[in-house]
Amino acid sequence: MSAFFSILGIGLIATGVGFLALAALGLWRLPDLLSRLHVLTKADTAGLSLIALGAACLTGTRAEILPLMLCVLLIAISGATVGQLIARSVTPRGGRS
Amino acid sequence: MTPDLVYHVTGAGLIGVALWRLSTCRDMLRRIMALNVLAVGIAMLLLATGHDAVAAITDPVPQAFVLTGIVVLVAVTAALLALAEQLEDKADE
Amino acid sequence: MIAFDIVLAVGIVFCAVCALTRRDRMASIAAFIVLGLLVALSWIRLAAPDVALAEAAIGAGLTGALLLRAAQRLGPLRPEAGGRLAVSTAIVAAGLGCGLAWVFAVAPAPVVYAPLVTERLEMSGVTNPVTAVLLNFRAWDTLLEIAVLVAALLLVSLLGGRRIVPAHLGELTLPFARIVTPVAILIAGHLLWQGSSAPGGAFQAGAVLAGAMIGLVLAGHAHTGAAVVRSALILGLSGLAVFVLAALGSEVLTGHFLGYPVGAEKIWIIGIEAALTLSIAATLCLLFTGLGQRKVR
Repeated sequence: MSAFFSILGIGLIATGVGFLALAALGLWRLPDLLSRLHVLTKADTAGLSLIALGAACLTGTRAEILPLMLCVLLIAISGATVGQLIARSVTPRGGRS
Repeated sequence: MTPDLVYHVTGAGLIGVALWRLSTCRDMLRRIMALNVLAVGIAMLLLATGHDAVAAITDPVPQAFVLTGIVVLVAVTAALLALAEQLEDKADE
Repeated sequence: MIAFDIVLAVGIVFCAVCALTRRDRMASIAAFIVLGLLVALSWIRLAAPDVALAEAAIGAGLTGALLLRAAQRLGPLRPEAGGRLAVSTAIVAAGLGCGLAWVFAVAPAPVVYAPLVTERLEMSGVTNPVTAVLLNFRAWDTLLEIAVLVAALLLVSLLGGRRIVPAHLGELTLPFARIVTPVAILIAGHLLWQGSSAPGGAFQAGAVLAGAMIGLVLAGHAHTGAAVVRSALILGLSGLAVFVLAALGSEVLTGHFLGYPVGAEKIWIIGIEAALTLSIAATLCLLFTGLGQRKVR
């Protein structure tokens, strides 16, 4: 059972790192702010959440899983909100167009 | 080559860069940022000196100093920025 | 792991150079914030998690916010001194940096205080050595540090600069504030309590609370009237008052300045830290938002 969880954890972390690498590639190669945000908000949240889930699989104690889940929650919420705020600042008429 | 040596060199490098910019910049915000980088460099030297990677001992006293320094630095930064903004207002009038 | 250290070190120096040389204000402040986070990572590597928490919250987060606020008010970058002066100072600074690196790499540096602190840790009432040093062995330093915070707060309030006026930031900030503010308060309480036995403490908890407060103010979900600002100012000053009263009380009770009564050290430390957390949070928030009467964006 523990071997299964450690393999699952390593797999999740590897996938998360892949997502983050994609986000970095997008940030580097894409031309304008909105398309960069498009890549960043999704791939960033997915990557960090996957890494946190993988770390939770690897540690396995409840006291350590709880903060990791809190991290996932905060990353998901702040990523979405900040992405929207940045997009608002560049779109005319406060993003209502 | 130990990790401590890497951080000694990094801290010294940060101090060098910060001193160079501190003495050549005219822009106030940039000078305040250089002051912050200088503090980070000094903190890194202190922490790397208080850490022994081989024996795995860490000295809590430099850590407490650096912690104090971070809080004092943010207060000083806020005060300096308020002064800089005041100067800018005076120049505008 | 030495490869990780070297990559991290190169990243730190690169970010510092970017932060101090880029012409674009936004780019240089972004590099500064990334520098703060990388430095926090390097302090984890140097086995200083307490400092790393404080650096990530205060050094990267709050200082970054302060710099962004100032950048908006100060306008674009001014032309700089160039030519021979820049080259000669660069040579002097590089020489100084190399000298420092050489001295610190060559000179023997025994770790002096660690065994002393470990020996007396039981007397301090807490098991986290950094908290023991901050609030017990060297509490006098921390008292003076809080005095510095109060001095900065008084300076900013005397200058009476501009105050932050919240902009309308859209519908998403309200659910964000509803979830993040309680979580931030929870994390601050957790950091404060666990500071006695694990990384954490008053400064980290205060910084997290201040971040939540600044978020609320910026999104326009907090009252920013004169009465609120005045009570926040009193809260900011109360930390120093509680600390000084505790110092005088311990003088009366035990005859030692800041020498807590034997057996009750932990209660004293947690009590002082709780007052400091609220006071540091209010102070940092006021340093960011300003106390002035003129409302300019």
